[in-house]
Order: sequence, then C-alpha cells, then structure tokens
Amino acid sequence: MNTARGGGSRWGSLLGFGLVMVLLVLMMIQVDRQWQRMAEMTRIMQEQAEDIRRTRGLLRDLEQTLRSGDLRIADPSVRAAAGTSGLDAFERARRAAARPDYASGDWLMLAFGTGLRTLTPLVSADAYASEVQAYVIESLLTRDPDTLEWRGLVAEDWSISEDGLTITFRLRRDVNFSDGEPLTARDVAFTFAFIMNEAIAAPRSRAYLSKIESVTALDDYTVEFVFAEPYFNSLQLAGTLDILPEHFYGRFVDDPRAFNESRGLLLGSGPYRLADPEGWTPDQGRVELVRNPRYWGPVDPSFDRIVWRVIENDSARLTTFRNQDIDVYGARPREYQRLLDDEGLRARAQHFEYMSPTAGYSYIAWNQRRGEAPTHFADPRVRLAMSHLTDVQRVIEEVLLGYAEPAVSPFSPRSPQHDPALRSIEYDLERARALLREAGFEDRSGDGVLQGPDGRPFEFEMTFFQDNEDTRRMVLFLRDLYARAGIVMRPRPTEWSVMLENIQRKDFDAITLGWTSGIEIDIFQMFHSTQTMEGGDNFISYHNPELDRLIDAARAEVDESKRMALWQAAERILVADQPYTFLFRRNTLAFVDERIANLENTPLGLNLMAVPVEVYVPAALQRRR
Amino acid sequence: MLLYLLRRAALMVPTLFGITLVVFVVMAAAPGGISAQSLVDGMNLEPETRQALEDYYNRLYGLDQPAPVQYLRWLNNISPVGFEREADGSLGAFSLVKGPDLGVSFRYGRPVTDLLAERLPITLLLNLLSIPLIYAIAIAIGVQAARARGGRFDVASNVLLLGLWSVPTMLAGVLFIGFFASEQYWRWFPTAGLVRREAVDQTFLPWLASGADLLMLFALLGLSTALLVWAAVRAPRRARRYGGAVIGAALGYLMATDLQDAVPTMLHGILGLGGAALAGAMAGIPSKPLRIVFAGAVGIGVGLGLARALGVEIVHGGYLFDRAWHLVLPVIALSYGGLAFLAKLTRSSLLENLAADYARTARAKGVDEETVLWRHVFRNSLLPLITVSATLLPSLLAGSVIVESIFSIDGMGKLAVEAVQTRDRELVLSVTLISGLLTLGGYLLADIAYAIADPRVSYD
Repeated sequence: MNTARGGGSRWGSLLGFGLVMVLLVLMMIQVDRQWQRMAEMTRIMQEQAEDIRRTRGLLRDLEQTLRSGDLRIADPSVRAAAGTSGLDAFERARRAAARPDYASGDWLMLAFGTGLRTLTPLVSADAYASEVQAYVIESLLTRDPDTLEWRGLVAEDWSISEDGLTITFRLRRDVNFSDGEPLTARDVAFTFAFIMNEAIAAPRSRAYLSKIESVTALDDYTVEFVFAEPYFNSLQLAGTLDILPEHFYGRFVDDPRAFNESRGLLLGSGPYRLADPEGWTPDQGRVELVRNPRYWGPVDPSFDRIVWRVIENDSARLTTFRNQDIDVYGARPREYQRLLDDEGLRARAQHFEYMSPTAGYSYIAWNQRRGEAPTHFADPRVRLAMSHLTDVQRVIEEVLLGYAEPAVSPFSPRSPQHDPALRSIEYDLERARALLREAGFEDRSGDGVLQGPDGRPFEFEMTFFQDNEDTRRMVLFLRDLYARAGIVMRPRPTEWSVMLENIQRKDFDAITLGWTSGIEIDIFQMFHSTQTMEGGDNFISYHNPELDRLIDAARAEVDESKRMALWQAAERILVADQPYTFLFRRNTLAFVDERIANLENTPLGLNLMAVPVEVYVPAALQRRR
Repeated sequence: MLLYLLRRAALMVPTLFGITLVVFVVMAAAPGGISAQSLVDGMNLEPETRQALEDYYNRLYGLDQPAPVQYLRWLNNISPVGFEREADGSLGAFSLVKGPDLGVSFRYGRPVTDLLAERLPITLLLNLLSIPLIYAIAIAIGVQAARARGGRFDVASNVLLLGLWSVPTMLAGVLFIGFFASEQYWRWFPTAGLVRREAVDQTFLPWLASGADLLMLFALLGLSTALLVWAAVRAPRRARRYGGAVIGAALGYLMATDLQDAVPTMLHGILGLGGAALAGAMAGIPSKPLRIVFAGAVGIGVGLGLARALGVEIVHGGYLFDRAWHLVLPVIALSYGGLAFLAKLTRSSLLENLAADYARTARAKGVDEETVLWRHVFRNSLLPLITVSATLLPSLLAGSVIVESIFSIDGMGKLAVEAVQTRDRELVLSVTLISGLLTLGGYLLADIAYAIADPRVSYD
C-alpha cells in the first residue's frame, strides 16, 4: 500500500511538472505572437509616417507654385482635341456608393476549387490567380460593363494615329502604387520590356504582345505604343496591359530565376493589395487582400478584405457556403436545379444564371485528315449532315437542363462580329439523309449502317474528356442519334494529357472540346490554313482559301465597321462549311450570399467581381468589421 | 548493434531505388506519358511560342531523351555524389560535394524540397496526433476484452470495431462534414482547412474578459472533471450506470435542441434515449482507464458548457484552440480505422500470454489476477504492438491522402494527389521517395524498439 501511494505521488509530481512545462511553452508562443504583431504594427506606422512626409512635400510644392503665381488651369480644348469621352471607369461605382443603404466594410469571402501555384503576374497561368490579380494590378483602360466601350482607368485619354500603328496614352497624374510610389509612363514602358525579356517565364504574354513593336515613355505621363503592322485588336492589346511597378519588379531583370520561381510577388496600383507584397505562399491555403489605403481612385472599394479559401472537396465547399463562411458557390446544372428546391439555401442566397462573355462555346471538331488519308469529314456535305443530326436543342434541354444557348459560330451572338441573320443548324434527319446520299453514303448491304462511296462502313470514334459527366451524357445521347441515320459512333473517353497528345498528332476522328470566347475574338488560330502546321490549333486540317483571305483582311483592318463586315462574311463561311459542329454556350450558374447588395447582370457578366468594386454589404447585414 | 544499423541503412538504398524505379516506369508507360507537350497544355498559345516553350522544358528536364536516360539523370540529381548539373541542363564535372537535388516541380515551378518542407510538417502533425490516440484506445479496449473473454464487452467491442473498420474513410469524412460541420445539422466543427482566418489575428491562448472569468472557468472545469472522474473511479456500478444515463439523456436532449427548438419531439426522444444508452454503457464498462478517459472528456465538455451558461465571457478562443478545433474531425477520420486492428491484436496477444506457463506459475504461487495481468502478462503482450507500429505509419500516410483531400488540408497527401493528377514527375518521385524513406525509417525504429523492449532479441 505504501509503495503504491509513493508511486502515485511520483506520478502526480511528474504530471504536475509536465503541465507546468506545457503551460510555459504555450506562454512563450503567446508572447512571440504578440511580438510579431507588434512588428507588423510598427511597419504600418512607418508606412503612414512616410505618407505624411510625402503629403507635406506635395503641400510645400503647391505653396511654392501659388506664391510664384504660376498657377494655370488646363486648357479644356486640349482634352477635346484628344477625342475621348470625358467619362471615366468609376461611373457605376459612384452610382453604387450613392445608394441609400451603401456602406463600406465587411469581408468578401470566396473559395477556390484547387490550390494556387503562384500569385506572381506573368508566371501564373490559371484563371484563379488572374481573379486575384484583377483587384491588385490595373491597366490603362477598362471596358464599360454597360456599353462595352473602352474607358480610361490609369490613362486619362488616348489617341490613335491615322495609320492605326501608333497609340498614345496620356496618364493620370494622381496614380500611386500601393507602396506610395507614383505610377508613371516609365512603369508602362518597363512592363513591356520586362515581358519581352526572354529570361522571364512569360511566353504566353510574350506571344500575345508580339504585335507591339515598341513602348516608349515620351515623358512622365505620356506613353506611346507602336505596332509593327495594323492589327484590329491593338487598342485592347495596349490598353489591357497590366502595369507593373518598375521599382518593385526591376530588380528581377538581373535575377529572372527568382522571379520565375516566386510565389507571391504582387504589387500594383489597384484598390486592394497583399498585406505583404512578397510574402504570400501557397501553403497558407488562402489568399487575402486588404484595402489599399493609398488607392488613387475617386471611389474607395467597399470591402475591408477579400479572402479566398482553398476548398477542394465539392461537398465541403457547398457545406461551407451553407454555413455562410463563403459568399459565392458556383454550381453545375444538375446540382443547381437540385439546390433551387432547397428552401433553407434559397432563403439565404441569391441565385444567378448568366451568360459570361468569356464562357466560350463547346463544339465537335471533325478531323478532315487522319494519317495521310482524308476522312469522311473532308466532304462539307457530310459535316453539314452531322450538324443536322446533332440535336443541340435536346442536348441543352436534357443534359444541361436548359442552362445554355445554341452556338451559331465562334462569335458570341451578343458581339458585333456576329451576323444576326445566321441561325444555328436545326435537327433535321431527312435533310441529313439527303445530304449523305448526295455525298455517296448509302446503306447498300442492308445492315442498317451506311457505306461510303469506297464501300467502307461509316464508323468513327468520338474522343472526349473522361471526367466531365455532362459531356459523357451528351456523347452517349449523340451516339443514339447518329445510329438512327446509320452512322456508328464509338465513344472514346480520354484522359486530358492523352487528349492533348491526340490533338497534337491529329490522331482522332472527331473530338468534343470548348474554346474560350470574348467580346471580339480572333479565329486565326483555329481556322486559318497556315495553322494546320505541327502544333497549330487548326488540328482538323481545315482549309478554305476564301476564309483565309477574310481572316487576314479582318485582322489588318483597323476601321471597326469595315472589320465587322469582314468578320460577318467569315462567319457565313463557317456556318455553311461547318468545320466544327457548334454546340452551345453554357450559362454560369452561381449562388451568392444574401447580404451582398447591388448584384446585377451586365453584358460583361455578373458584376460581383467587377473592378472598380460595385457590390457592397449594407451596414445592417455586415458580419465582420 | 552499430554494425546492424549500418547494414540496415545500406539495405534501404536498393529498396528505395526499386520504389522509384517502379514509379518511374509506371509514369513513363502511362498513356500520354510525360512529354513537353503535356506540360504546355495551354491551347491559347501561338505555335512558335509553344514550340519555344517545349524546347525550354526539354532542355530543362531532358524530356526528349529516352526514358532510361531520363531516369539515370534523375538518379544523378538526387544522389549526393555525382555530376554537377549546368544551368542549361547538360552534365558538368564529377563532384563529391554537389549535394542531393530533388529537382523542380513541373507544375509549381518551385524546388521540390521547398514544397515538401511546407507540407511534411502538417502530415506529420496529423499522424503524430493519431498514432498515440490509436494506441491508447486500442490497448485499453484490447486489455478489457481479453480480461473477460467472451463477455458482453468483448462481443460488443468486437462487433463495433469491425463495423468501424469496414467504413471507408472517404464516406466517413463526407458524413462528418455533412452532419457535424453543416448548418443543416450540427455545426460544431469547421468544414475545411486548418485554421479560421479570424483566429490568425487572435492571441495564441484563449482570451477571457476578466481574471474572475478565468478563475471561474478553471473552477468549473476542474470541478466537473474531478467530480465525474471521481465518480467513474469510486462510485458503485449501479450508481455509475444511472448517473451516466442521466447525463447522456441530458446531452442527447441538448443536441436535439440545437437542431430544432426546446419543444420535445420525436427527435428529442430518440437522441435522449440514444445518449442515455451510450453514456450508460460507457459508465458501466469494467475497465477503469477507459472510464476515466471517457468521464474526463465529458467532464471537460460539461465544464465548458456550464461556464458558457453561467456567463463566463470568452472574448475569443485563440489560435491554439482554433487549430485544435479544426483537427478534431480529420484526426478522428484518420484514426478510427486503425483501432479495430490494433485492439484485436492486443486482445489475442494478451490471451495467449494469460494462458502461458509463466502466468500459470505466477497464479500458482498466489499472485492475484490483477498483478498477473499488469506486472507479468501486459508487458510481454506489447511486443507484437511494436512490430505492428511499423506497418501503421505507411497506412496512416496513405490515409492522410484521403483525409487531407476531404478536409482541404495542405499536407503531403494532397500534394501527392495533385502531383499524380498533373503528372508532375519530379514531385511524384520525390513524394514516393520521402514516403518510402519514412516507412523504412519506421521499420527500422520498430526493430530497434523491439531489441530494447525484449532482452531476448539481439542483433549482434
């Protein structure tokens, strides 16, 4: 009994000692965190002191100018001569801020479905990173969501030379980067030079900007873009160049490796900024932007913070949205339909179905040359017949539950590139049979399968991406439709990398995929005959001299109305020729938390992520301050 | 011993070599394979640029060379001794001090070593929490089941554990989130991640409004825990049962109230009865350690609940508490599967030893059954558990692949999944290498521990 008691007290003292040690360690960590917090606050205070010093300098300069009596008012005729509208990009944001329940504050909580690799501009290639960058980095121009016209953002106005080869932008004088340094024309010129630097891993941007010959800063606030040849999209090319600060990114010219491997080098003049422009790492599992206190714009953004969390599991993401821990949930059609019936969810969320202009279109591409031999699809009558057999309307109704619209051509029906007289091709079995007969396909053996002019049965493989449930359903449905006309289609679900290899080697019969789209898009890559070369995007060996001529002419035409006429002519050829069977454009389906106000569908899509920020949370509904 | 260790370490090299060879062959032979084209997946590239980018990757990783050459290059890179690698990808002079280089991940464009250094601690944290938990609970259950072989506890724990064992982690994880993290049912735990954004700005330890509140919290916690633990140890069986049932019923009722209102409904009845049955059964378990653990956990919960109800103002929970709160569901999901196996092993090993000659001798000389169990049999029965610990680590590493994906925890497991999905060769090879190293290290540790625990085992 004695020994037992002795043992007990020994264990007790050990336990007590352990507890004290654990507490001690915890306290040490606590103090350490407080220390870190204090360092952070010191940094902020230094930043503010710097701001005050700079403001004082500005005041002193102003006072001197006043004393010397050298003050003059800018001549309004100068502005008129430049030939731009006086409107700026903040009209909608101003209107939002004038609404009676407008309040600034609260956090916007968003979620990513996969982890981010890097936030550094140019190096990052995914849509997620560019979603974050849109809040941090600004460009010269932005599109007005209502009229789709260009509005000056960092640029005050701009002029285009007669031959369309030179664009000169005049910059606003009050734009600062989020670290307080002023944004000048030299930063714009630096950005171009930086991208064109072969050592920087930005091949995409380099290819995109290759039409620009030079970018020169004429003075501190004037910058000139010179193009090598007339190009229809030159204003967009120059105007949407994200302006990078030279004083921040300049040091990487000598150390490109550090830039290429960086994870979070992000600094710009936008309404939000990373708290630490160099310190972000992917392992944090979230991205967090704070309001830029030095933002130059006339309207301050409403949210205090914008936070993205990474939640990969779909059901966990939905649950998190239900718990109101994230504010937006994008759904697939079937899920969307199911969730619309969910009373609990609908009471707390607004739902939106909208056609995003960048959503793009799905298509079936008919390979015209496999190996060295032409396929059945080399005959335009066969392709047209296949389009007649593809009942897009039913696919939309049954697979996508109506959340899509038929695609007529690569051009969006809301774009001036589209000829309103053109319609998508209707399902018509009889017409398809007639076309196939005309092309020499008939069921001569009586086995229900058509034979071609060479006597071979009409069979082909349909390659599609295996992990998309909607695509799989569509392909199986189409197999039945084609079978009705006596055509045997063998579905071939394929892994993404294998699919890319098949495309590369042009080793497929038919493939279903999608291209992204935009307000005005270029179809050179997909349909111009020069792009049939190894690795080109015209992987179906499509060749039409008339279309080539139209595409070349349209790309070199700077005058908008003439160019649109050329695009429309090209579109007529595409619809008649059916190199692809154009399927549909999907709606984006999203649920948004109820407290987000001023949500609206614009021609650019939902204005939730629009910059300048237009949405806000009314004071009564704010949750985080 | 030292010689043995050296030999084992030397034997690890060919094993790891074999592992990487198999992985490399599988990845190279997979349809599509790894090529510069699959890395340049952007369809919006102009062809010349795409060609340039492909050349760049080929140069950097040697992807245009035959697979055996690629493998040898990779081996050269990871070996601490070998040829230097020049910036343009060609091989330089032979060097004895070039150091191992795990390469650069295709997808992330970052050194693999950095990625692993970020992710490994998180997976290790999950596993280091799970392993002691699994062992403690499994041993307690196993001992109790062996003591009363064929008894009610033995049969019940057997059935329950086998049932748990057969529930896939994938399903359990999603169910956990659906029931215990969702607004629709009980939102007690977070859905994803390792820490809430708000907690990052908070202090490390919980922060209470005043010193009085702190004292009150400690008092209530201590009181309720001590009371329940005391009752679990000292109270007679019948009293324990009834007491447990009452507490369980109250907790079940509160659980139903959390979901609906306080007005009694069917659900209140079902959950109340369920709670009463569960807590009553737990309170009636003959094993003292199990009872103490259970009573302690309930006591802490009741104490916290009482403190909240009595108006102790907790300004915020703090970072530590938040992290622990996020770890609850993942750790449970990770550990429940291993329980059954270990508990069964403990039970059979104990039974074998209880029937052994030395146990009979001890009983024959008048030693009481408790002392036979704890002083003689228990220690000897733990030996198989040491052996098994070596296989536990790999299975936990595999399990964390699933758990991390479900709970969006950025650990090694998730990294491995991402790497395989995107065919990130350098990353897959390195992750398998590190996992292999950890597993082999686990085996070695188990063998050493075996020699220390059992004087009969010697490696000299």
